[in-house]
Amino acid sequence: MKLGHTSLSIFTALLFTLVTLLSASAQAQTETYRARLSPMPTTPQTVTTITGEGEVILTLQGNSLSVKGNFKGMNSVATMAHLHNGPPAQPGPVVHPLEVTLLPAGEITAELELSDAQVTALRKNELYIQIHSQTNPAGELRGWIFARK
Amino acid sequence: MKFTLSNISKALLVTGLLASLVACSDEGEDQASATIAGVTFASQAEAGASTFATNCAACHGANLEGTTLGPILSGQAFVQRWGERTPAILLGNIQANMPPGGNDSISTDDYINLVAHILSSNGVDTVVNELTASTDFTIADNISQVVARRQRAAPPSPQGITIAGTVENFVPVTDAMLENPDPADWPMHRRSYNAHSYSPLDEINTENVGNLTLEWVWNMHEGDSEPAPLVYNGIMYLINPGNVIQALDAKTGDLIWENWTGPANRQDMRNIAIYNDKIIQATTDARLVALDARTGEQVWETVVADSSKGFSNSSGPIVADGKVILGLAGCANYIPEDCYISAHDANTGELEWRFNTIAKANEPGGDTWGELADVFRAGGETWITGSYDPELKLTYWGTAQQKPWVPVSRHLTIDDVGLFTNSTVAINVDTGKLDWFFQHVPAEALDLDEVFERVLVNRGDEKLVFSLGKYGILWKNDRVSGEFKGFKETVFQNAFTNIDPVTGAVTYREDIQNAKLNEWTSACPSSTGGKDWHSMTYHEPSGTIIAPLSQTCLENAAREVALVQGGGGLAASRKFFEMPGTDGNLGKIGAYNVDTMEEVWSYQQRASFHTGTMSTGGDLVFVGDLDRRFKAFDVKNGEILWETRLGTSVQGHPISFAVDGKQYIAVTAALGGTSPRSVPAVIATEIVYPQSGNAVYVFSLPD
Repeated sequence: MKLGHTSLSIFTALLFTLVTLLSASAQAQTETYRARLSPMPTTPQTVTTITGEGEVILTLQGNSLSVKGNFKGMNSVATMAHLHNGPPAQPGPVVHPLEVTLLPAGEITAELELSDAQVTALRKNELYIQIHSQTNPAGELRGWIFARK
Repeated sequence: MKFTLSNISKALLVTGLLASLVACSDEGEDQASATIAGVTFASQAEAGASTFATNCAACHGANLEGTTLGPILSGQAFVQRWGERTPAILLGNIQANMPPGGNDSISTDDYINLVAHILSSNGVDTVVNELTASTDFTIADNISQVVARRQRAAPPSPQGITIAGTVENFVPVTDAMLENPDPADWPMHRRSYNAHSYSPLDEINTENVGNLTLEWVWNMHEGDSEPAPLVYNGIMYLINPGNVIQALDAKTGDLIWENWTGPANRQDMRNIAIYNDKIIQATTDARLVALDARTGEQVWETVVADSSKGFSNSSGPIVADGKVILGLAGCANYIPEDCYISAHDANTGELEWRFNTIAKANEPGGDTWGELADVFRAGGETWITGSYDPELKLTYWGTAQQKPWVPVSRHLTIDDVGLFTNSTVAINVDTGKLDWFFQHVPAEALDLDEVFERVLVNRGDEKLVFSLGKYGILWKNDRVSGEFKGFKETVFQNAFTNIDPVTGAVTYREDIQNAKLNEWTSACPSSTGGKDWHSMTYHEPSGTIIAPLSQTCLENAAREVALVQGGGGLAASRKFFEMPGTDGNLGKIGAYNVDTMEEVWSYQQRASFHTGTMSTGGDLVFVGDLDRRFKAFDVKNGEILWETRLGTSVQGHPISFAVDGKQYIAVTAALGGTSPRSVPAVIATEIVYPQSGNAVYVFSLPD
């Protein structure tokens, strides 16, 4: 059986629609990451003054990174938060500031545009989040970012 | 990297440089000790009390009584450790090592005040003038109570037999029995010479383990404790804190006899040995004592090392070929004597041989310590009991790292590998001579030693030795030659940028190689391991090693240590944090195929594991944790088949035995346990447990 002009047109339109949908799906594909926030390095002398916990979910779409999380139990009010670049357990420089509730507990958010190098770092677990506080200006909570399981 | 003695050249001591270093150091101390008018010992002690409360009491207790985080600094324990030394040596030790996290705001004067407070609290009552950095009187000579005690004949109490009784129908333990233990017995630390921590008993198995119930429980003496009970012919021999041994009816839990060998402190000892008709015990003050296994009466005693110089024991001996072989701890001091493994006649205690773990300048391997004079070569402790191959007549031990912890603190570089530290050493039991060694991590730089048990495994014609140190790397070596055969990283580590798959040679990260004084380095795992003193098990039927692992990281900063005789120490500030990527799970059990070295299964949880793993012929592996849980896993897939909760943290070495044909599982609940306890205490602070409750629990199936 041969396809007529009408049938061919319908087939072409369907094929175009399918390709478009697949392309859109690929563009919309997101990667989800998670950081568990826990106290910065501590000792028996500081264990009661470096406290708290939190969780941050990060969504990567293209080079756009959405950051949404919460924290609680810090020893004092948060003063600032940053996204840092460093391999797991090896501190490194700040790459982006993050919005943080200026209280001992609250939310941490950001809508960021990452460079290609930063996206690569994210996928290699070489980005981390750090929240600073009034009594721990060098940082109170920290967590490396890993692909969400 | 593997070395043989033939390719190690000898080096001569270079004294001039060292002499000048010592001179520089002395000059610095003199400057620090400038006298301030009006300052007295009493005023220093008063000021030191405040500094102690702020910086030290959290770990050592407000009254220096010690806690699970830090040792006791008062009473007999203090006098035993520091009584024959000087305030200057004590000052140097504290300055080099305390507080663990560092504190730049503590001045030299503050440290001197701390020394005054500690001395005053310990009864130093003849001193009036202020202490300086070079005060060199003998501490015990200035404690009136100690001086008075020396003049009395009576030993401290309790001492010796406190409960008298007799083990009836005792049958002497022979070499053959130790080489091939009865399935019902657990006659040595890890049950067998090959250190498998495996019982062939299979009455309790994957089908019925869910029915396990408590048979009996026995409260032990309080104090730090990591015990490995022995069971022989229905009798349990139990090492308690404070060098107390008890014999219990293993079926009923009835006490038969008890002996306080002393010193009566709260310190721990991991294991004891049984041979012929004797229980053989290393003491925390580095003696070796043999008790009559029937009655507990002392048969002989010998001094292994001088405890007044810091030497101690924390693990007991193994008896191999009629010799009692044991290691030493407390070898971080700059003194002429170094650490050694020694062998003693099991019938008399007489010394047969010693193997020094630190190569002196004129000995093979002596050129691996740079130009450091012999007196400043420290470390190489053998604080975990070794294993034994009766066919090869070789005993296998792990050695600890160089001291202080960081190369720059020990006045060395990352190229000064320091033989025979952080190695597997294979020693001929007849001669005490080194047959071969393999240094797993040369020039160790983070307080991550490779000292733990050596597990001997036969696969076909291959005779292998496995070890797993604080870096969390499972090492496989040929135990005839020492040849490297493979490795597996069991937890995340970022200390090494490369591990050579052919030679096993490790390459440290550059910043670790070049770490300077007071410079923080961040690395994983932390000083609690990877893996620590808790023994791993080899389950021969499935060809897997199942290991208790730990997942934390540290920041480490080297401190300065003067090259002064009598000084030394560990010398680093440390901070601890969760291991990235673990979701805060400190505890991990990992099962590894010994042929492929691949992970077969793993299980992770928040609470750290505090016992060794013990596997059985019933295809079970038992392990206990900080959160008081004692669990049984299916050895083939890691499924938890049974668990129960005990009175306090589950710590020690589980065992299995049988009496009258009935199988039992025993485990201890205990406190203390060094860094595996202190690191979780600052990371998993929500896990709480009673600060007492040392006990042995025995489980069985209902009749």
